[in-house]
Amino acid sequence: MRLTAGTRSYLLAFADDEHLMGQQHTEWIGVAPFLEEDLAFSSIGQDELGHAAMLYEVILDADGVSPSDTAIDALAYRRSAADYRSCRLVEYRNGDWATALVRHWVYDTVEQARWGLLENSTMSGLAGLAAHATREESFHRLHANTLLDVLLQDGEARERILSALHRLETQISGLIAPIPGENEAVSAGVAKERLCDFAPELEAAIGTRFGVCIRLDAGEADAEFRLARSEDFGPLMARMREVLDFDPAATW
Amino acid sequence: MATYEVFLKKDGRDEYRHVGALEAATDELAIVLARESYARRAEGDRLWIVRREHIIDPGDEFVLPNADKPHRHHDGAAVAARRKAARAAQT
Repeated sequence: MRLTAGTRSYLLAFADDEHLMGQQHTEWIGVAPFLEEDLAFSSIGQDELGHAAMLYEVILDADGVSPSDTAIDALAYRRSAADYRSCRLVEYRNGDWATALVRHWVYDTVEQARWGLLENSTMSGLAGLAAHATREESFHRLHANTLLDVLLQDGEARERILSALHRLETQISGLIAPIPGENEAVSAGVAKERLCDFAPELEAAIGTRFGVCIRLDAGEADAEFRLARSEDFGPLMARMREVLDFDPAATW
Repeated sequence: MATYEVFLKKDGRDEYRHVGALEAATDELAIVLARESYARRAEGDRLWIVRREHIIDPGDEFVLPNADKPHRHHDGAAVAARRKAARAAQT
């Protein structure tokens, strides 16, 4: 199935989100607050990288390009910044554990909804991929929720988590805002409905989980949001390309 | 935080084997962390975790005296020699 430009952009947004989120999670290896969490968080990140690779593969396939590792790498790492469709939440700089944990919970809550929209996709390969990813995602959410169950009971941890949540409000709005090309993807039957229709459900889920009310405002975070990169994208992409750039001609 | 011992079992008739330990704040967190730390590459298809404090350990002195009972170990050499002698006598 050939993709329209809109549908391609919609799928690319998901693939790019998975790619950058996976990368950022894996960067906690060696520096997470405790050893077990190093492994758990990186392992979850690897799942997301796997989802990204499979989504890139679906896109390449539809482009009529053989999805070799080289072709996937070119799509994943070698586009110009303006051609990425990632949201600001996944580009946001790493460094604070509370922020990473809140982002992990929010991202995976939304990711579950995103795969749900693709489970009956008319596009070949996508429904199967959605079923595969959904199985993994239940464990990602279990991990985030189990950690939060413990940490939200502690005064200082709770305070840090809630301030991280508020710090990320704009970025969370951007994750759930209309995605460029989304309407085309829905009318083509590639996605069941628009992700932004899930915003009230996400607000309610955040209320239940964190006990606070945040208003997700897609006003500023409209579709244009994913068309430009935030300031954190450059350094992140430089880290991601670091090894590739040692020897651009190498075959991996 | 409590320390947990982790056991994995592969499919079929293999027994559970000890694969390591971890620390976690709750039992629920311990199973999540055990899954990612020890079973993320499908090293087993069943997982047990046990709080280390629940392991009953009588100490090394409890079994060590049994190390000094060579008469409980035999390599069968004496029996083999007698059987060989008996066979030789028959022919």
